[in-house]
Amino acid sequence: MAELNETIHQPVRLRIMAALVTLGPNEEVDFTYLRDLLGVTDGNLGAHLRKLEEAGYIAVNKTFVERKPRTYVAATAEGRKVFAEHVVALESILRSK
Amino acid sequence: MNISPYEAEQALAAIQAMMQKTRRAISSSGAYLFLIVWGIIWLLGFLGAQFLPQYIAVYTWVVLDILGGILSAIIGIRMNRGVRSPSSSSSGKRIAIFWMLLFLYCVASIAVSWPADGKQLAMFIILFVMVGWLAMGLLLSFTSIWPAVIITALALVGYFLLPGIFNLWMAILGGGGMIVLGLYIRSRW
Repeated sequence: MAELNETIHQPVRLRIMAALVTLGPNEEVDFTYLRDLLGVTDGNLGAHLRKLEEAGYIAVNKTFVERKPRTYVAATAEGRKVFAEHVVALESILRSK
Repeated sequence: MNISPYEAEQALAAIQAMMQKTRRAISSSGAYLFLIVWGIIWLLGFLGAQFLPQYIAVYTWVVLDILGGILSAIIGIRMNRGVRSPSSSSSGKRIAIFWMLLFLYCVASIAVSWPADGKQLAMFIILFVMVGWLAMGLLLSFTSIWPAVIITALALVGYFLLPGIFNLWMAILGGGGMIVLGLYIRSRW
């Protein structure tokens, strides 16, 4: 039986992962685009992204676009897998109601 | 880790809402806007062709097409903002080259078949644009080919069966249809 994931279950991180797994497997999202999508501050998003990156659920890619620094974020294969398991666990709790 | 069914329900709702918001954000950065912009251009252009003197209608079409090209370029650039993939840059360039070549082929076909009247010119442009739409649909999203097939069928019906009101027919069903479809896609996502 799938188990809940404590790292992912935190509300902001849950929404971050939901946004990232919605993208295609080879797609990544700009930090500011993700911040605006979630409606959180730079610092708040940065802190949650660090947690997810440390867990290996997301990959952070710092690069330059037209000489400007840009940070792109994507869900890893592991992140997609544990997120899917988390959703299954949530659904099973709901079914057992 | 244990949570109540109520908390599980809340979490699933949050996931669902975020996924929908993300899909809408990606699509609202462009795709449906193409339909609305070109729907308005067709609506105004064909209404002009139906009711205005021919020379004014031709200039109206030229101005509208230039405006449409500029707006399409802006929408295309905006679509690439925010989300990227390794293949998006090269495929974006290929798509731009495809549309430029299709435009040149359309001009060449018109030149070969010249002289052509206003309705024939309109049909050439409609058919080439719909071929481009079909190619994009087959490449990017199979379900999006159906509006192109329907618009092509409507254009052919108008051209062959309703020549007296062809421009009005295309303004309302072609232009209006694209606007409605664009708004529908926006609301559905």
